Amino acid sequence: MTRFLVGRTSGMLGVLFVVCLFTFVVFFVLSPDPAVQVCGKNCTPERIDQIRLNLGLDRPFLEQFTTFLTGLFVGRTYGVGEGAVQCAAPCLGYSFQTSQPVTEMLMQRLPVSATLAIGAAVLWLLAGLIAGVLSAVHEGRFLDRFLAGLTLGGMSIPNYVLALVLQFVLVVVLGWLPFPQALPIGEDPVQWFLNFLMPWVVLAVGAAATYTRLTRANVIDTLQQNYVRTARAKGLRQDLVWRRHALRPALTPIATMFGMDFANLLGGALITETVFGLNGIGKLAADSITKNDQPVIMGVTLLAAFFVIVGNMVIDLLYSVIDPRVRISA
Amino acid sequence: MAALPTSLEAEGRSEDSAALGPDGPRPHRVRRFLAALRRDVPTVLSAAYIVLVILMAIFAPLIVKLSGWGPYEFDQSAIDPSLGGLPLGTGGGISGEHWFGVEPGNGRDIFARIVYGARISMTIALSATLLTSALGVVFGLLSGYFGGMVDAIISRLMEFLMAFPALIFMIAVLSALPAENRQVLLVLVISIFGWPYLARIVRAQTLSLKEHEFVESARASGATGLQIVFREILPNLAPTIIVMTTLAIPGYVGTEAGLSFLGVGVVPPTPSWGQMIANSVTWYAVDPVYFLIPSAFLFLLVFSFTVLGDRVKVLSESGGIRS
Amino acid sequence: MRIPMKRLVAVGAASMVFLAACGGKAGEGPGGEQGASDEPATGGTVHMLQNSDFSYLDPARGFDGGVNAFYRLVYRGLTMQTAGDADDPNEIVPDLATGLGEVSDDGLTWTYTLKDGIKFDNGDPITSAEMKFGISRAWDPEIGIGSPWVKQVIDAPDDYEGPYRTGDIPTIETPDEKTIVFHLKAPFPEFDAVLAQANAVPFPEGTGDGDEFLSDIVSSGPYDLESYTPGSSISLVRNENWDPATDDVRKAYPDAWEFEVGLDQSTIDERMIAGQGADANAISGTLQASTLPRLQDPRVSERVVEAPAYCLTYMSMNTTSEVFSDVRVRQAINFAIDRSAVVNASGGTQLADPATAILPPTVNGHKDFDLYPGVDGKGDLEAARELLEEAGVDDGFEFTLDIRSQPKMQAQAESIQQALEPLDVTVNLNVIDTSSYYETIGTPSQQNDAAISGWCPDWASSASTFIPPLFDGRNIVEKGNGNLAQIDDEAINTRIDEIMAMEDLEEANVAWGELDEQIMEQAPIAPLALEKGLFLPGENIAGFHPSTSMTDLTIIGLEDPSQG
Repeated sequence: MTRFLVGRTSGMLGVLFVVCLFTFVVFFVLSPDPAVQVCGKNCTPERIDQIRLNLGLDRPFLEQFTTFLTGLFVGRTYGVGEGAVQCAAPCLGYSFQTSQPVTEMLMQRLPVSATLAIGAAVLWLLAGLIAGVLSAVHEGRFLDRFLAGLTLGGMSIPNYVLALVLQFVLVVVLGWLPFPQALPIGEDPVQWFLNFLMPWVVLAVGAAATYTRLTRANVIDTLQQNYVRTARAKGLRQDLVWRRHALRPALTPIATMFGMDFANLLGGALITETVFGLNGIGKLAADSITKNDQPVIMGVTLLAAFFVIVGNMVIDLLYSVIDPRVRISA
Repeated sequence: MAALPTSLEAEGRSEDSAALGPDGPRPHRVRRFLAALRRDVPTVLSAAYIVLVILMAIFAPLIVKLSGWGPYEFDQSAIDPSLGGLPLGTGGGISGEHWFGVEPGNGRDIFARIVYGARISMTIALSATLLTSALGVVFGLLSGYFGGMVDAIISRLMEFLMAFPALIFMIAVLSALPAENRQVLLVLVISIFGWPYLARIVRAQTLSLKEHEFVESARASGATGLQIVFREILPNLAPTIIVMTTLAIPGYVGTEAGLSFLGVGVVPPTPSWGQMIANSVTWYAVDPVYFLIPSAFLFLLVFSFTVLGDRVKVLSESGGIRS
Repeated sequence: MRIPMKRLVAVGAASMVFLAACGGKAGEGPGGEQGASDEPATGGTVHMLQNSDFSYLDPARGFDGGVNAFYRLVYRGLTMQTAGDADDPNEIVPDLATGLGEVSDDGLTWTYTLKDGIKFDNGDPITSAEMKFGISRAWDPEIGIGSPWVKQVIDAPDDYEGPYRTGDIPTIETPDEKTIVFHLKAPFPEFDAVLAQANAVPFPEGTGDGDEFLSDIVSSGPYDLESYTPGSSISLVRNENWDPATDDVRKAYPDAWEFEVGLDQSTIDERMIAGQGADANAISGTLQASTLPRLQDPRVSERVVEAPAYCLTYMSMNTTSEVFSDVRVRQAINFAIDRSAVVNASGGTQLADPATAILPPTVNGHKDFDLYPGVDGKGDLEAARELLEEAGVDDGFEFTLDIRSQPKMQAQAESIQQALEPLDVTVNLNVIDTSSYYETIGTPSQQNDAAISGWCPDWASSASTFIPPLFDGRNIVEKGNGNLAQIDDEAINTRIDEIMAMEDLEEANVAWGELDEQIMEQAPIAPLALEKGLFLPGENIAGFHPSTSMTDLTIIGLEDPSQG
């Protein structure tokens, strides 16, 4: 177990390192001089030099990259002398636009993205599992075919189209829901729920469709396995057959996928957050891209990659718990 | 995200990697499979729509001559300057003159822009599919067959690309790059993040195929590694590749539209469906037709490819190939 | 969206953001009587919904219309632009000073006296020392990135770098607690307007170094910052140490302000139309074109308030480029552009008027003229063809037009593309990403043949912040260039100097109007449109006098504070 953990963690750090390096290189090469950007319009050459010095942009690439990595793990100091600013680990630098610490910006936005991700996940898991099992039970019959068509549609509809259609019908025409706002849950749970409902649905539809199909395929597959047939032949009660023998193995692959999808969403639902104007990580990403705010883009990219990688690892661990057949190996 | 092919391919992976065995595509099986496809109503319908869009794309200049308005021509007489440039008449200005109505603000013909938009959608999605498949197949084969260092490097690369927040990165890169050759860039960016999903499956199947007898005998007769990979193993992977590719196309159509929707796609005034949807967003309450037409065309195209991919997979697993 | 400079903001950003106090005449909605003319009552919370965040809370850094409006709520200067509902909303009036400046005979020394009873939010008195300290922050190379006027006009040692690096500024004197004396580089008759700029405000000595004012501030105005979440929200509460008796302009009716930031423009318009709950107490920026058809419902239309344009949307033609070096070609383009198509692309007749002069009618000094009249509201292609023939390019040519990746500007560019097509003039659009657009076109080595841009005045009481930055040939610089046409004409340069030296503002303004026409004869730019504002305040809002340049937030309040 320890070996497994060590192996996975180092692998994870490796991938994260490459993500860091890659993002850093790309923005280092692609972007116009950040100092000029920070400087703005009333810019003097002296000021540009000053900014370069403060941000460490006058250093060679490798040194900048190592400083960035150091900042990530132990923090770093910006500027020199009296004007120096200490940025504590994990330091992702400061926004070129607002001069806020990027870490703080991410943490401010994370609750919104987490709320979106959790709500959507609950929805798509419930919908996907129920519809999938129903489909499997009714294999080949009307309900199965109907759900099959519906899931293909759900997989095909671009989420911005769905978001706009829902907003138009439910908010503008019918007035049943408010325009989504990222409210805190504390003040008015009902309002909170109504505000988030539409974004949850939009985020969940595609995944729910995929999960329905997966569940259906897996359940049908397991029901044909010998041990299930045996259990049935033994005269085990139908619900016990389902619970003990059919569902559990059928769920394993779903758990794997769920880890990936959920982690992906935690890193920000760019389109949905943008369309609904919810201030999560995805919106932050979109905004910082239009403003060419590189430290923030870097921060968002790294955070999202971090979630995906950690998500993968957690799922690997859980996998061994759910399905004892899987041996842990480094 | 619907804009990314991830979920679709992930599903394809877990469902069919086992189902598509190493059976080679024998001629009679292919014939039977095609016959089954032809009898299948959803397949025929979705294929028909796809063909329609392809024809639209190819003959766009001719079609536009027939309808009377080019994709860039303004028609100030079709809009109301005192109402923010809203199209005159009902249904977003649908008339004998403008079959699908006009765009608010300038009176450009929506029909013409849809027809020309099909060109962008199809070229980008199909080029991205070709490039992704090529990359996925080559890397998957190499990684699976040679193992060792080659496999380690390619596998890490795939892991890295799949952990990468592709959408954020695509937007960031595209908005930082100059607007020239945007279409080529789009294809490149989509493909770079797309190939690992196919490569993973190809790799897995290559791993099992290389233990088969025919590979052994080829090796015994002195074939080099590359010859074996491309002459012996590749043909056996054809069904998998076809299915996976068909399943991937809708993802790329969606991605192109998504990127255009987010403003980093093709450069205006070149028409693209995603961009039309983005422009129509502010108008959907007063001019729903402007929003609905490109949305419907886009949705139906993604839907058709999805259905087609799904049917190809189902039929190749069951009736077509096995029976 | 970050726009480092207010005057470059006009196209696009100004339409989304709110600017402070050079409000138009009391707005008249199409529905006649509307909320803005009602008297607000004291109390309640006014909400403001906006798309983009304020650039900086620090007034030495921020310099765009949106944040200037906000600064008026929390900061005070020696002078200020008068209330948005005044007869001449462009007028400069005293604020912390007892009167406008007293100028010496040589025009180089300006003296102001501070009022009694003026305090910071912590109760400390504001004296001439704090005033001087606050203004000197403008010289800090790191912090003083806002309005350039203070630095340009007030004399200072060449190596002066603000209070934190260099220390005291010797050219601003404070003989006693109430008196402050400024020494200028050269006479500047409009110095009162310079001190009305957002970065000429007091701060306690020693505060505001580095990033201190990025997240917290020291307020001198009627409100103080309660909380600030960048990209999301700002809350203001009353500053109990602000004494209304010392302030003739700010009314400060509401007890609190809530700025909701980061909302999608369509969402804002939807919420303003619906006006549910707290949105009845909300205001927002100008409406989108697509919202206009929905204003026909009388209950909505009676709330609509119009604001005249303060900014000019124009296409500059680079006079140093091969295609546009010939004045006849530039004139031909001016003739050919279909300004009604441009108006439609800018949102139709409710949101834009065709522009034919450089100065908008709202800027004092505007002169009405049209040197390149169209035919039936469209371009005059015949006149254009003749000029092109004379210039020898009647078989057409190509040019590249720089535009920002923003839908409205793209629509405007496409309308120019279409209008020039019959002349066989091909316009290639070069779409530049929003964040680097003004940097790129402001760099002569990177700019192409033409660019679409906008200009708003820093103060509208004269054209001195409109014509010189755009057309003075000596202002062509390697970076941050405002003279996009790169026109360097001896006659224009000399005339600018003469008018700038005029002490009588009215005389100067008449002269600006004539110079406007003189410049347009050379057609370095093609004026495109005057983009107006159409606002939809909540039902309970009163005293709302919006402007496309700056809306005066300090005179807005709620009709019935018990509902807010």
